[in-house]
Order: sequence, then C-alpha cells, then structure tokens
Amino acid sequence: MLVPTIGIEVHVELKSKAKVYSNSLNAFSPEANKNMTLIDYGYPGSLPVLNREVIDMALKVCLALNCKINKEMHWDRKNYFYPDLPKGYQITQQDTPIGYDGYLETEVNGKKKKIGIERIHIEEDTCKSIHSIQGTKLNFNRAGVPLIEIVSKPDMENGEEAKAYAETLRSILLYLGISDVKIEEGSMRCDTNVSLREEGSDKLGTKCEIKNIGSISNVARSIDFEIARQTKLLEAGETIKEQTRRFDDSTMETVLMREKETGNDYRYFPEPDIPYVILTDEEIEAVRKELPVLPNELKMKYRETGMSELAMNTVIANPELCAWLENLFTKVNPVITANLLTGDILSYLNKEKISLSDTKLEQSMLQDLVETLDKKEISSKQGKEILEILLTKGGNVKEIRKERGMEQISDDATLRKMITEVIENNPESVEDYKAGRDRAIKYLMGQIMKASKGQANPAKVNTLLVEMLQKY
Amino acid sequence: MTNYLDLSVIELHELLKKKEIKPIDLVEEAFARIEERNDNAFITLNKEEAIRLAKELEEKEIDNLLFGIPVAVKDNILTKDLRTTCASHMLDDFNPVVDATVVEKLKACHAIIIGKTNMDEFAMGSTGETSYFGPSKNPWNQDKVTGGSSSGSASAISSRSVAVALGTDTGGSIRQPASFCGLVGLKPTYGRVSRNGLVAFASSLDQIGPMTKNVSDNAILLSVISGRDERDLTSAHVEVPDYTKFLNQDIKGMKIAVPNYYMSDVIDEEVRSKVEEIIALLKDHGAIVDYVDVHHMEHAISLYQIIALGEASSNLARFDGIRYGHLTERYDNIEDLYKKTRSEGFGREVKRRIMIGSYVLSGDNANIYYKKALKVRKALANSFAHVFENYDLIIGPTNTNVAYDLGTKKDDALKSFYDDILTIPVNMAGLPGMSLPVGFNHEHLPIGMHIIGNYFEEGKIYTLASFIEQQLKLDLKPKEGKTC
Repeated sequence: MLVPTIGIEVHVELKSKAKVYSNSLNAFSPEANKNMTLIDYGYPGSLPVLNREVIDMALKVCLALNCKINKEMHWDRKNYFYPDLPKGYQITQQDTPIGYDGYLETEVNGKKKKIGIERIHIEEDTCKSIHSIQGTKLNFNRAGVPLIEIVSKPDMENGEEAKAYAETLRSILLYLGISDVKIEEGSMRCDTNVSLREEGSDKLGTKCEIKNIGSISNVARSIDFEIARQTKLLEAGETIKEQTRRFDDSTMETVLMREKETGNDYRYFPEPDIPYVILTDEEIEAVRKELPVLPNELKMKYRETGMSELAMNTVIANPELCAWLENLFTKVNPVITANLLTGDILSYLNKEKISLSDTKLEQSMLQDLVETLDKKEISSKQGKEILEILLTKGGNVKEIRKERGMEQISDDATLRKMITEVIENNPESVEDYKAGRDRAIKYLMGQIMKASKGQANPAKVNTLLVEMLQKY
Repeated sequence: MTNYLDLSVIELHELLKKKEIKPIDLVEEAFARIEERNDNAFITLNKEEAIRLAKELEEKEIDNLLFGIPVAVKDNILTKDLRTTCASHMLDDFNPVVDATVVEKLKACHAIIIGKTNMDEFAMGSTGETSYFGPSKNPWNQDKVTGGSSSGSASAISSRSVAVALGTDTGGSIRQPASFCGLVGLKPTYGRVSRNGLVAFASSLDQIGPMTKNVSDNAILLSVISGRDERDLTSAHVEVPDYTKFLNQDIKGMKIAVPNYYMSDVIDEEVRSKVEEIIALLKDHGAIVDYVDVHHMEHAISLYQIIALGEASSNLARFDGIRYGHLTERYDNIEDLYKKTRSEGFGREVKRRIMIGSYVLSGDNANIYYKKALKVRKALANSFAHVFENYDLIIGPTNTNVAYDLGTKKDDALKSFYDDILTIPVNMAGLPGMSLPVGFNHEHLPIGMHIIGNYFEEGKIYTLASFIEQQLKLDLKPKEGKTC
C-alpha cells in the first residue's frame, strides 16, 4: 500500500503601508514603476531599511498559528541571478525564521485534524517580468513587497486535508487583517509537495513540487491528480524523478516544468546590512493582545447559540459581517442577527457589489430590528421590508413601523372585537376546534392577523383566541 | 603657483575668514596642481561645478571649518551627477542620481568637491594597480606604489592637490596607502560613519574615513562625516563628539599595548625600529607601554578571504548590465547576457575575488568556511576586547614595510593580501584604527604607525596621534621631483 505525504508552502503578501526593506509605498498601482525607490531598484550604495510593521504582522501570524518565536533573529541573503531580482539576492530569513514549530487545527469530514507548521519567515517579493515580442520589461512596483512564507509539516495525506488546511489558513490570515489573501490575484500562493511511501515505512518517497495552483479547490484537485500519477508510475515499476510541476486548470492535470538537478546552490549567508532584531517578551505579548478571535474559536462560540452551519460559515468567511455580529452578539439574539446578515443583507451587498459600510444601515438600526423581530412585534416579512429601507435610506425602526402602519395592536378590547368577528364568520373552524383539530387554531390566527393587516400582537391574539374559543 | 593647500584646514579657514583668500583661489590651485603633478590621482574632475560653487560661496557667510575647503572623494562613494566608476569598466559611465550621506554632509558644509579619486577596482587591491584607469603615482617616489585601495585619495593629499580626502577601508584601504604616502588616515569604528551611498565591497567591514595631511584636519573631517543615519541600519546610535577637543592633551598615564604579533620578524627592521623609537618616546612622556598577545590575529588573511570575498561575491551580483552599468553588445539569452557583461565589465582581480567568494559560500562550504570564519572573527574581537579592559590604545606598525615598486605584486594574488596582515584584524573586530606618519626609511619613504582604539574611542587615538605629531614635527611634504 502506498501512502501519500503532503506538505504545503504558502507565500502571503502582507498589506503593510510600506515595503519590507524600503519606505516605498506598498500598494497596487496601474502605472508601472510608480511605487519604487532606489533600494527596490538595487541601486549601488543603497541599503535595506527594515519596516517594523512587517515584523508585527508576521508575529501576529506566528502567534495565531501557535508557533515558537525566534526572539533573536537575523536576515539572510539568498543569492541567484535572475532579471526580476535586482540585487542578485533576495533578503530572507533562512537560519532564524521569526516563527517555528507551530500548528493549525482544522476539520476534515467533521473530524478535527491538527497540522504542524514547520516555520514562518519574512522575505521580499521580486519584480514582475512582463514578456512581450519587444523583449522583457520589468515592473518594480512589486519588488520588495513583504511576504511571509508559511511552511507546513508533511502532515497531510490527501487532497481534502490539504484543501482544509489551505482554507483554514486563509480564513485565519484574513481575520488577522494582514493580507488580502486572494489566491486569484497572487496575494496568497500555494505550492505543494507530494510524495508516496510504502505504508509502515519511515522513508519518504521522492517528492514533486506543484506550483501555479490558482484556487483553493485546485489544491485538492492538483494533489489528487499528482497522487494518482505517482501511484500509476510506481505500480508500473517506474521511479519518481524529483520535479517541479505546474497545475494546468484547463486539463486539471499537473505538467512538468523542470527536472530538479543537483539542488540549487543559493549561497546563503547572514545579511550584513540588517543588524539582529531582538523581540522582547513585552513586545510579543503586546501583539498577542491585539489578536482578534480566530475563526475556529468563533465557530465553537456560534455553535453553542444554535446558529445554522451555513450562517456560521458564511459569517466567518466574511470578516465585515462577522465584526457586526461580534458587536451585537451579547446585545441581541445572535441567531436572528446572523440570519439577517447572511441572508438579505449579504444578498443586497452582493447584488450592489458594495460592502456594509457603503450602505445606510448602522449597527444600532440592526440591533433595533433584531430586537423587534425577537419580540415578535413584527412579522419576518415586515422585517424584510424594514431592512430594505434601512439599507437604502437608513432611519429609525420605530418610525418606519409607524409610517408603514406596522405598529402592533396589543389593546385587549380591540383584539377581542377582531377575534369575535373572525369567530363569527368562521363557524366551521370553531366546530373543527371543538373536535380537537389543531389546524383550526392556526387558520383562525391567520384570519385575525390578516384582518389586522399583520398588526395584531400574535402572542396576545393566541392567548385571547384560546380563551374565547373555550367559552364559545 | 600658490601653495595654500600646504596649510592645515584651520589655517585655511583663518585666511578665508580674514578674506585674504577666496574659495576660488583654493579651487584654482587644486586644479593647477593636479594638472602639474599628473599623478593619475583622479578619475573624474569636477572642475566646472567646483569653480561655479567657489564663486557662489563668495556671497555666503563662512560658518564652519570646511567652508570653501577643496576635498577629494574616493570613486566608490556616490556623488550626484558626478561620475562614480569604482575604477571599473563596469561603471565607467555611471552618473549617480543621489549623493552618499557623507557627500550630503560635505555639501551641507559648503566644502568643494574637486573630483573623484582613483582606486583599486571596487576597492579590491592594495596597490591601486587593479584600477581600470591605471595606478596612481606615489608623490614620494614615482616608481613606488601608493598603496590601496584608496590610492588616488592618498596620492592627492600627499601631493597637496586638495586639503582633505575621503577614503574607504575594508581591510586596510585607508591606513595602508596613508602609511605609504606619509599621511594621516583613519578607519573609524564600524558604524561610526554611514555607508549609505558607498558602493559595497564587504558590508560588514567597509567604513568611510578621513585621509589628511595632519591629525587636526583628520579630527575635523571625522566630526563632520560621523553619525547615525536612518538609511544605514548598521550606523550607530552613538553621539558624535567634536573630535578636535581630544587634540593637544596630555598622555601621561595613558596605557598602551603593543601586540607581539605586530613586532615579529615578518616586519621590516627599519619599520620596527621606528615604532620602537616611538615607544621609547611615549614612555619618556609618562605613558605605560606593555607587550601583549592578541589571539587569532594570525587568521586575519583567511578571515578576510572568506568573509570579505563571500560578501563581495553577493554585493557585486547586482552589476548585471540590466539596470545600469556596462551591458555587452550582443547576447543570445539571459545567461549569455550575464556572462558576457560581467566578463567584460569586471577586471581580473574582481573576477578572482568573486570566484573565491562564491566558492566559500557554496553548498557545504558555507559551514566549513563561512560559519567557522564568523566564529573565529568573534573570538578575535573578544581577544581585542580583553586587551581594552586594561589598555587605552594598541599600537604597532601599520604595514610590514614601506611602499614597494610598482608591478611587484601584480601577478601574485596572495602576496598582495599579505600587505594587510596588520590592518585586517582591526576591520574584523570593527575597531577604529589610524595610520600616523612617524618617520622615513633609508630611501626617505614614509613609515606609518598604527594606533588602534576601543569602539567609538577615536578621541583617544587623536590624543595620542596629536602628541606624537607635535613631538616629531616631520616634514611630510614630498620634495618636488624627488625620486630617491
């Protein structure tokens, strides 16, 4: 029996204000070579400066992924020649990654799975090469953009586990607010390593690295394809060659990029231009305090409220909605809040392609609406109507109800009069009720609500109706 | 021709203040002398701009000692719109868009940059002979080397073509030529002077420093160029004193160590006996001088070849012809572009050092050589630190000998490293070190004495150096046309 071993290397672009080794703006620009300084250009005589914000961001990730921290760290040069690498070396952390030996907990088919994190280190992105018939052009906007590389331990055995790992990792990074983590745009890049070994053997098989995986679902697909490919080869008595392959999403196959020759010689050595960075316990604790509640923790909290899995997952996948839910969590019914957020609100946002902050809805308005719904003072249909107004125009829930005639009738005398009228007009239902058929009461309730244009207090109507029927 | 540039910075400052001379007089004298000497001390002259500036300064108030003073800058230090070649074909058409931090500081003082001085290519060499533009001449004797790599700065000061100059020192490149040309050269503590804008050779060793006719000029220049710079993370957060305050102080009770290694048989006898004379002089004036052992000094050359060349192989990788510098004319692909550009752009010594440096960092060698070298380097620094627990300064000869004939070591790569056996340990430890002229040999070639201080204690070096200078009162101006 062959058992797959899978490890994942994830590169994440950090959205710090400045680049990692220069004070150049770290932002997208449609204009090429707009966000660059002489440092990013590898100008003679220029020296790297270290952006402290990047260290704090990386530290957040390390703490969220339960890593040990290298409190005394240095940077290293990784030397190789390539046109997109202006200095002829990349400044990275080889010997002293900021974090190491951590883990992440995820769920695969309802079962908890703990996946080890080997190391997390800080490095810089390269330029972008733009190839055309006229030749290759370089865009330095990306040169020096901060990256963290998160290397998992080879703890996964199939595509599904790898996908769960990538998904959970992505949601955690999103929650930390340190990156856009958009695989499609390259702010999160997954490379996977796949090898097969005989069951019971400690000796790992020869691995192939898969690059260019353009989405999280392709993480699973590419791995499953690769496992099948390697299994077929091994079963046919062939050997696996160490290769770098890329995933082709049109054929859903991995394709050979290059054979790995005698390992690359990057001539690593400590970067002499950046002195050692010492992280104190106080600094680490200060960052730890700023950590938000992470998705896996949120899930446990939400599950206790009886929230549906769908609402839970949707809200967690959307930090803005989640922030609202978190703010209202102890104030009003979280299940109703989550349902509104992930239902009508989210579909409105999607339709308009905007975010919550672009609407007229405010948290206090949503709080009133949930409270009103929770007290059953309005129907869910009315709730929908009010929500639409709040989203587009804003306003006060009470006033909208007044304007729209959605105020509740709770006055006994008025209600009794309405009930009497309905009972008298529906003698057959009264008969049914007396014969012990429950649906009669539902029908009568419906008639009363209709007659009151939905304004009657349903709880009160129910009590009064039963009382009056018994006397009838 | 006038001889104002024989004077010290303070004397020139007085004349300028009294309006007895104008900056333009100094600038004109500088260019006249450079032309007359024809020592190949400069790669690029800044004539038009210097004259323009000198005239402009006539309208300004003289507010500091370097105001209107002609300076020379080594050609591996960036000067905006003034060609900076590193004495290499690779950069022979490179016009920087910025100034190095030290140049900004000189300009802020209204010092006048006369030109960019010749040097060994990318500061790799100790004779000036690896320059793409040919060697500079030693004003003491045209057949002798100036030393290097700051060959042009040494030559220009020695010939009194400028008042003061900047050099750079990675393994002795300020001190050794200062010693060969009879001038005062100081390599500051690592981190004292910003390296921003210095084209890197070996980042953990490189320092920019002053090369001057006398100790006072040296202290004045160091006070100006020192200080923390946010653009160089290795520059130190250590306050900069006015170094001239340390001049003319008593040396009584000063504790001085002489490493036995510095006085061994390897050192030329005349050089050794000159240093011994100074030791006697210092003792006579109340200094306490002891011979001590500084361990691991004997590994200096190996450390240099591993650490300096390892770093150099990486620092010089950026010269690929793509963004700046020499680009080969015809190439088939990117690999071919790199090979041809770098083969044509770099000289033999630079290529040799890149190869050695790449080798020591390659694969397992990084552990066998580089990481081990870092440990020995640390041990050497500790050994120095141990001496400084009990002593104020360390002295000895700067070099094993005086200036030798041009061409002597051209074809012996290893031999030229051996010039630096006494200077490299100081760079490895990151300490400040000065070469001070203390006399001449039988051929009337200058002999330099090495004064090494503890971290950021350049002040003590100046105290001792100014004392010796005043005692000796040497005539350090080479005699016209003299070739002994």
